[in-house]
Amino acid sequence: MRLLASLALQNLGRRKARSLLLIMAVAVASGVVFTGATLMRSIDSSMAVGFTRLGADMMVVPEGALTNITAALLTVEPTDLVLDQDLFAKAGIASVSRAAPQKIARVEHSGIGSHHDSVDLIGFDPMLDFTVRPWLVEKINRDMRPGDVILGAARDAPLGSELLIFGKAHTVYGRLGKTGVGTHERGVFMTFDTLEALAGSVHGHGGGPPAVLQKGKVSGFLVELAPGATPLQARFAILSTLKGVKVVTGDSTMSGIRQGLAALLNGILALMVLMFASTALMVSVLFSAIVTERRGELGLLKAIGARRGQIVGMMVIEAVIATGAGGLLGVALGVLVMRLYERSLVYYLENIGVPFVWLDGPRIVIVAVAAVVMASIIGALGSLYPAWRASRRDPYDLVRGEG
Amino acid sequence: MLSCRGLRKDYVTERGEVAAVAGIDLEIAAGRYAAIIGRSGSGKSSLMAMIGGLSRPSRGQVTVDGTDIWSLSENALAAFRNKRIGYVFQFASLLPTLRLVDNVALPAMLGGGRKSSATYARAAALLGQMGLGDHLDAYPSEVSAGEQRRAVIARALINEPALILADEPTSDLDEQTEIEIMDELLAVNRERGTTLILVTHNLALAEQAEQIVHIAHGAIVP
Ligand SMILES: Nc1ncnc2c1ncn2[C@@H]1O[C@H](COP(=O)(O)OP(=O)(O)OP(=O)(O)O)[C@@H](O)[C@H]1O
Ligand SMILES: [Mg+2]
Repeated sequence: MRLLASLALQNLGRRKARSLLLIMAVAVASGVVFTGATLMRSIDSSMAVGFTRLGADMMVVPEGALTNITAALLTVEPTDLVLDQDLFAKAGIASVSRAAPQKIARVEHSGIGSHHDSVDLIGFDPMLDFTVRPWLVEKINRDMRPGDVILGAARDAPLGSELLIFGKAHTVYGRLGKTGVGTHERGVFMTFDTLEALAGSVHGHGGGPPAVLQKGKVSGFLVELAPGATPLQARFAILSTLKGVKVVTGDSTMSGIRQGLAALLNGILALMVLMFASTALMVSVLFSAIVTERRGELGLLKAIGARRGQIVGMMVIEAVIATGAGGLLGVALGVLVMRLYERSLVYYLENIGVPFVWLDGPRIVIVAVAAVVMASIIGALGSLYPAWRASRRDPYDLVRGEG
Repeated sequence: MLSCRGLRKDYVTERGEVAAVAGIDLEIAAGRYAAIIGRSGSGKSSLMAMIGGLSRPSRGQVTVDGTDIWSLSENALAAFRNKRIGYVFQFASLLPTLRLVDNVALPAMLGGGRKSSATYARAAALLGQMGLGDHLDAYPSEVSAGEQRRAVIARALINEPALILADEPTSDLDEQTEIEIMDELLAVNRERGTTLILVTHNLALAEQAEQIVHIAHGAIVP
């Protein structure tokens, strides 16, 4: 085995340019496959995260409010327009099971993050909430109190530590898991009371505190449908009962996103399959030529006692070393590309309405290992047939240059 | 030691079948030095290839030390080539990517079994015996044709074969080198008792043989 491997390595070293080209070609293909698979898996798991675990069925905001559809599924975008906090409680709409009010204030110079970062301060009602607290991945072991804040996944501060917001001391009560939605990940969450207590420090467009920080006013509601109710029924009921509101349904947008995404994913998948097939073909053609070029030597090896398995083994090892190296290089390239283009990629995806969270480390490693294994398999498959065919021939035919 | 029965080799070509070897019966006793002579194209190389397990006969049997070699399995035949036969070909036959010492050690390494340090010591000793002690680490392209041929003889000896098949081993060498290389082969035949079958055009060399096999048109001329 070691002998065959060293023969294979020496053979690779004879035509350095050709071996490098082979490695590069496999690297490009496996880089595409690795990157594609990582993105696909990331998008897939992001979808699961964004839509199934947390998605509200619809959202009710003031008429005229801007709504980013994706973000809307989880949080209401900051706006100056407000609704009454008890809107749903008073109306009692049968097709709505829960309506979670949220206050959102986008503030600057709050003392959180770097100086010019704007921060979304998000107030929620713990009694009605179903989009914030289910995401808690860690928290202090007690109930939430006034002055407590919950940090989005992108914010980093130890539990129990003190956080100054506009100079006021708050306690970090808990931290949320990754959701893939910017407003949710970068938000600072607190109860209505806590948020309202900051009214004196926050300045809205007119100079005074924004309307949403007044008691009893909210930016909007996240709505969960009653079991059995259709979005259409609920929308109709809401619009006919409540005045001055807009209903944003997750549903229609989600299916739109899903369709767009499915096309994208299918495209990536097709590209991956094509890459795989054409690389396998290329390796096979190349190794047919290599076997022909070296049949004299193969015949000689047979003549001095190499078994068929050893001949095939040597050629397959040669191919696997090259394509395996190509696979490793491809993964490295893929990681590099994804790092370089991470920002624009995430921006693009969020723009078309896809929340995006990277796969966690161990799963990226699995995808990477799979890509390298796949590349090696391509090498093995591509070289196996030409090597096997040559190994069948009589040594004398091979050394005479036939076959 | 060697016995051929009704040995035939037909090559299929565009112009029909060519009978390169057309029914040969042959006995060569152990330890002999036998010479095969004949005109170019008479079928000498084809016969040697069938005897050495390199080319499957169209018909007939080759028996070496009681074993019908062409009825062996693939792997058993490979082991036979490896352990029992040493070849010296008509052409350059060293692997270009390996040093001389690696080339010589290769048959022993392929066969497995022995420790590689012992194998390399033996390979170095054989090369030394062939006057190539200073060229152990040289690559084939760095030594002369005669030196390459000597390295091939060293390789043929590494597994201590019972039979050495040399197909015009000196045809492309000058007279002095030819004599030296033949001396090496004959010394092996005399000192180790290894059976030697030599194909040659050199009648002087053939006349020293204990048995002369004259072939014409694929058949033995009495
Ligand atoms: N693979 C082959 N296909 C077709 N014909 C072949 C093949 N190998 C040999 N022959 C033919 O078989 C005959 C015997 O060839 P072989 O090489 O055995 O002769 P030889 O006696 O060794 O000749 P030389 O002295 O030139 O080496 C020749 O006529 C040759 O053309
Ligand atoms: Mg010949």
